[in-house]
Amino acid sequence: MATPVSVLRLPKGPDPNSRGFDPNSPRFVALCRTSISTSAAEADAKELQREQRARSALRERFLRCLLTMTNKKVQFHMHEKVDVEATFGASDIDVLNFQVSDLHTPIGVQKEALIRCQDVISFTFDM
Amino acid sequence: MAMRQTPLTCSGHTRPVVDLAFSGITPFGYFLISACKDGKPMLRQGDTGDWIGTFLGHKGAVWGATLNTDATKAATAAADFTAKVWDAVSGDEVLSLAHKHIVKSVNFTQDSNCLLTAGNDKLLRIYDLSQPEAPSQEIAGHSAAIKKALWCNNDKQILSAADDKTIRLWDRSSMQEVKMLTFETSVSSMEYMADGELLVITYGKTIAFYNALSLELIKTVEAPAPINSASLHPEKDFFVAGGEDFKLYKFDYSTKEELESYKGHFGPVHCVRFSPDGELYASGSEDGTLRLWQTAVGKTYGLWKCVLPGKPEQPRPEVSKLLKMEGQDFSSYKSQGATKA
Repeated sequence: MATPVSVLRLPKGPDPNSRGFDPNSPRFVALCRTSISTSAAEADAKELQREQRARSALRERFLRCLLTMTNKKVQFHMHEKVDVEATFGASDIDVLNFQVSDLHTPIGVQKEALIRCQDVISFTFDM
Repeated sequence: MAMRQTPLTCSGHTRPVVDLAFSGITPFGYFLISACKDGKPMLRQGDTGDWIGTFLGHKGAVWGATLNTDATKAATAAADFTAKVWDAVSGDEVLSLAHKHIVKSVNFTQDSNCLLTAGNDKLLRIYDLSQPEAPSQEIAGHSAAIKKALWCNNDKQILSAADDKTIRLWDRSSMQEVKMLTFETSVSSMEYMADGELLVITYGKTIAFYNALSLELIKTVEAPAPINSASLHPEKDFFVAGGEDFKLYKFDYSTKEELESYKGHFGPVHCVRFSPDGELYASGSEDGTLRLWQTAVGKTYGLWKCVLPGKPEQPRPEVSKLLKMEGQDFSSYKSQGATKA
């Protein structure tokens, strides 16, 4: 009688919590370029310092921007050519959601709303 | 001693798998993409079936999926009237191309610069991916929905199969129809092999082989059941076919003899494809699974291991693949036992 071929294990199935494309996989690391070059192991100390200073400066500017925006009218440019205006309230700690008031949408004004940050491409406001 | 085929089942999809495609061989192995009616096409490692990621974005059944040769880009065709181009490394959606009806087929040129799409609007469309805002070039002619459209003859020509029971060959530069094949019944699938310029077509219980340039018939083979898809081995010694009786059939290409048949799927087989190295073939079924089958049953490859009676266990192919991939000298590495599934 024929013996079935043995297998080491079954193929791995999808992860229920993520869409995959592991950023730590050798292929991702080799092929994906981020907008600001990552501090790869090969980078020298001077480059790393410069990069870190740049990162800190950008982060500080962004946080100051969020502070300045509070209670001001902000125009959000979002995906699917959506442009809305609202009064900015606050951001959550991970910058996943913006709390806004008086959100002007094509179907009316929403008194209070949460805007999902990943849907926002850019925002502008007058200082 | 005879060995019995152990197919590897790849689960994850929740609805029928209707199309699948392999990439070429890359420095990171080769990859497999599956199109599913659940709208979530998946990328898998080609030789193990391990899930790598799911392309999220389509709002309808995905009818067609393809990878470019080096598996850096993916394209999908869906019932939401769009074809999408994806970064196959990060999983991000790169482009969404709006169509006027269900899109059924997508195919990259060898340089990945152009995308050919086709579907229920009966038009062939050519998109220049370096100018996505520019309108696509359209080729009209088919009188019914197009099932499949493929680049051929070094991307100089296009082959299309439609529900009007014809297969047509088009010239890319002139956008004119060059040749047409008419059938008595709708063609269920079409596969093109650049090496040897061969076309594998299935209709009814027939698997037919044509010269892709002249559209001359080479041979036909009859299967025991209606066939939905067939694939020829890269070395052209075997071909496999699957269809409505849920089984996979393996035939000898030269003698047309049926060599093997395998049960395993719980629903009709919609698509079957050989891997680029010919060591395995993948099948997608109505039962929502993909299965990987060995070409040489019993050989050590991917997750299959050959254990000969009385001999010590062969080195695990997975670990040796890992050694090559990392590019570092792990010769003193000691295996830590079974990998977690």
